[in-house]
Amino acid sequence: MSTVPGLGAETEELAREAEEAEASHERDDQRAGRSPGQIAWERLKKDKVAVVCSIVVLFFILVAIFAPLLTSLQTVDPVTGVKADPYAVHPELVDLNGFPKEGITSSHWLGVEKGIGRDLFARWTYGARPSLIIGFVAAALSTVIGVTMGLVGGYLGGVIDRAISWVVDFFLSLPFLLVVIAATPIIELRFGARGSLTAEQTSNIRFWLIISLLVIFGWMGLARLVRGEVVSLREREFVQAARAIGVPTRHVLFKEILPNLVGPIIVSASIAVPAYITAEATLSFLGAGLVEPTASWGRTIADAQNSFQSYPLWLWPPVIGISLLVLALSLLGDSIRDAFDPTTRR
Amino acid sequence: MLTYILRRLGLAITVMLATLVSAFLLFFAGPADPAQAMCPEQKCTAARLAQIRESLGLDRPLPVQFAEYFKGLFVGRDIPFGGDTIHCSAPCLGMSFLTNRPVSEEIFSRFPATVLLTAGVVVVMVTVGVTIGVLASTVRGTALDRILIGGSQVFGAIPYYVLALIFALYTTRFYSILPQAGSISDGVIQFLPGLIAPWIILGLVSATGYTRYTRNSMLDSLSMDYVRTARSKGISERKVVGKHALRAALSPIVTILGLDIAALLSGTLVTERIFEIDGIGKLSLDALGRDDLPIILGTVLVTAAIVVTMNLIVDIAYSFVDPRVRLS
Repeated sequence: MSTVPGLGAETEELAREAEEAEASHERDDQRAGRSPGQIAWERLKKDKVAVVCSIVVLFFILVAIFAPLLTSLQTVDPVTGVKADPYAVHPELVDLNGFPKEGITSSHWLGVEKGIGRDLFARWTYGARPSLIIGFVAAALSTVIGVTMGLVGGYLGGVIDRAISWVVDFFLSLPFLLVVIAATPIIELRFGARGSLTAEQTSNIRFWLIISLLVIFGWMGLARLVRGEVVSLREREFVQAARAIGVPTRHVLFKEILPNLVGPIIVSASIAVPAYITAEATLSFLGAGLVEPTASWGRTIADAQNSFQSYPLWLWPPVIGISLLVLALSLLGDSIRDAFDPTTRR
Repeated sequence: MLTYILRRLGLAITVMLATLVSAFLLFFAGPADPAQAMCPEQKCTAARLAQIRESLGLDRPLPVQFAEYFKGLFVGRDIPFGGDTIHCSAPCLGMSFLTNRPVSEEIFSRFPATVLLTAGVVVVMVTVGVTIGVLASTVRGTALDRILIGGSQVFGAIPYYVLALIFALYTTRFYSILPQAGSISDGVIQFLPGLIAPWIILGLVSATGYTRYTRNSMLDSLSMDYVRTARSKGISERKVVGKHALRAALSPIVTILGLDIAALLSGTLVTERIFEIDGIGKLSLDALGRDDLPIILGTVLVTAAIVVTMNLIVDIAYSFVDPRVRLS
């Protein structure tokens, strides 16, 4: 029998499962009354990947918060006579072909931008800000909308449910990137961009516009998930009991049903953050995202790609930044999902 | 069965209509002055603005404009343009203000490049994804399994455009290992070599999801009784995995594939930009750079139509395979 590899493994596994089941019975006796959130937190703390990823994410959050401090650690530039600043243009730092006169110096840790001589280290540290803000704000807002829509549709049923389901289907069938690209210039014009507004104001409009568009196109998945859960929870005894004693609908939704959905909501939000950061960087790279003068990794990558052969130092820091941040957030999201999922066995 | 198909069809039609109406409203009622937005020049003269307004029929009420646009989609319409009238035939999506050609013509001339790109990507994606997924499922729990699945997880988590950009820079520009993309107007044979690099990178990145689907699906079917029966009859492990288990594991993968092709068709934007392929994605991005809104609107509508149609086909095909779908 042992010549068949699958069967040997299967028997071993059965034995292990039985052991695990016994062990978990013993554990259950000691740990009565722990919420799924607490169990997930325990599992997450033991997950090495999750710990490492959290440290990486924390590093980028600190970089974003202390961007001005980090930038000021660079020494005063002997040519310009001032400390580096993410927005100051210094054409005197580049030669006639636009190439920086010097590479890495103590006053420019990552060199200066080709053509206009802005400090790349400052651009890099400040560039972490829009990525993180957009990622977390968009994830928070779309989670709120998705949960509300799912709760209302699933609990009320009928016409409202069908209407919400239709809207979900509608948004899911739109090509997200294309629609955002098409809508951006139009909506921007509505707010008067390109006319009397300064570059900073236009850049700010773009920033909030991107967050809004990401939220508008990002809430459907969670709404569907929550609706499905609510439809089954609605028929459970504790909800019927609450309704029978006259608890108002709002209370039933948010105090009785919502706490049961904490797991899937946290999982969905944690997976949404890296997705939004990627979307922002992709849009900025394609020219429909953030615009100058806001420092953005996606924009720097788009600017630097054509000079890659002659000046790779321009491209690599934002590439590494965005890749590492999104990778860490995605793997953390996967770990959180596994931690909430009682069926996963590593 | 018929009710389900009709309901699904009704949904597809209403979604498509809503897309059309909202795109139209966004386009014609959105900005303060659509003529200004559509003006290809930086500083638009009053005469040019008037010309654009007239050719768009912006002086007429909105419902009339919409009826005209809607009619153009199905039977074509005549567009007054710079003094004379141009006939825009059946799927009429307006005129590009930069090339003065009908939008539909522009889109359909770019279609083959995008379809060829997507087709190659699907081949690479399915071959690599299913092969690695099956391999990982047969060695589950070993170091190789962890390397394959962990690797695909890491590879899939890095933003795609960053990977594609670095890959493109190193293989086609820095070292010229792979040919750069040409123009499809030179003929399909000359055009295909330039697609090798995008096929590889987009195929590999898209395969990461399939690797995990296939592995999970294979683990499910490998634990079935009929697989045990097949093994107990002494059939070789290769046949058990390749013929008995894989066949059952493939059906959920095929479903996801149907939905993914639609997403891929619209998601080749980044690839076309990075590898300079003259497809629909590059068309819309170029149009964005020049504020050529009729082109952008046209590509949105065409892509949405493709996505809706593919979803419809997959849903109806699936309802034949799995009767449970019809009930929900």
